[in-house]
Amino acid sequence: MANYGYGGGYSTTSYGAQGGADGGGFMGGSQGGSQDSPGGSKTYGKDTLRPVTIKQIIEANQPHPDSDFKIDGAEVTQITFVGQINSISSQTTNTTYKIDDGTGLIEVKQWIDSDADPATSKPQPQEGDYLRVYGRLKSFNNKRHVAAHSIRPITDFNEVNYHLLEATAVHLYFTRGPPEGAENGVKSEGGMFVDSGLGNSAVAGGKKLPAKITGIARKVYELLQSEPQNNEGLHVNNIAQKLGVPSNEVFKAGDVLLGEGFIYTTVDDETWAVLEY
Amino acid sequence: MADPLSTPRLTSPHLEHFTSRTIRLVGRVTQLRGETATLDSDGVVTAHLNRDAHLTVGNMVEVVGKVNSDLSVRVLRATDWGRDVDFEAVKAVVDATHRYKEIFYGEP
Repeated sequence: MANYGYGGGYSTTSYGAQGGADGGGFMGGSQGGSQDSPGGSKTYGKDTLRPVTIKQIIEANQPHPDSDFKIDGAEVTQITFVGQINSISSQTTNTTYKIDDGTGLIEVKQWIDSDADPATSKPQPQEGDYLRVYGRLKSFNNKRHVAAHSIRPITDFNEVNYHLLEATAVHLYFTRGPPEGAENGVKSEGGMFVDSGLGNSAVAGGKKLPAKITGIARKVYELLQSEPQNNEGLHVNNIAQKLGVPSNEVFKAGDVLLGEGFIYTTVDDETWAVLEY
Repeated sequence: MADPLSTPRLTSPHLEHFTSRTIRLVGRVTQLRGETATLDSDGVVTAHLNRDAHLTVGNMVEVVGKVNSDLSVRVLRATDWGRDVDFEAVKAVVDATHRYKEIFYGEP
């Protein structure tokens, strides 16, 4: 599952750096990350980053205090959203933005990095600016806020529309399951839904591959389904030649498919056919 | 202020269902005359501007405003979105807003 480890390392540095490249990222944002570490260990490894609307944040439920928030029945750890600044209040330790995305209002707190060099600091966001926020949902005295890891200004407003559509798609994924024609039986532990659009072509035989079957394995499976063959299936070298990929890659792909029970070996270990039942 | 903290996104055809509510609307500025602007948002919309609004003809603008009974919009805040915003995406968002309103807005 290492592929899906949206772990702690995902948070501050990468987005901070990205924001910087855009000329945004008002501060390095490293402090926000360390503030959040106490809760980090228990959810480490299943950390996800979910696009949400502010209405979803306000309506997220918390089964009991200190537990993770849930949206559409799925635990949320890190969230991201886009919204417009309604008001800004600067305190000694943090800056609090009231953000409005048209669906609701939420406070976003960004801790001030006292070590930051004032000479290199980015311009502060203004009221009315649109921001992209990455952070964690917190509850303090029954009042919710988002502790921001990273904040950057929106410069291309298509991102506002993009975000709202992405949040809708993810909401529908959790409430209605994967889209028609995509995968059934995906182990929905969060974070994997982004893959679902990729491999929809591999449904030729009616059997659907889970999202984790990717790349060459998917191609091998498609070929085995579509290629005319006798009941002995196809030999590895034959597959490699038809797909134009090295046979060691085909072997790896075959191992994955064999392990998942999508194909089986026929006359020898190197000849495979689609397992149909 | 009780609920409508939400400002539902819509286009011109939805205005009649949202009179006296505060809404969000994206459109292209087609005309500017003093305190009044004409926007194209899947239909013509008349916007009554406030003093802070700085619109540019030809640009897309997002307005937050209240829908009057004559279906014009009294602008509370206007944000210039520039020229390069895909209006198809805007329409898709409006469609999603009303189709899946559970994540976008509540009834007043």
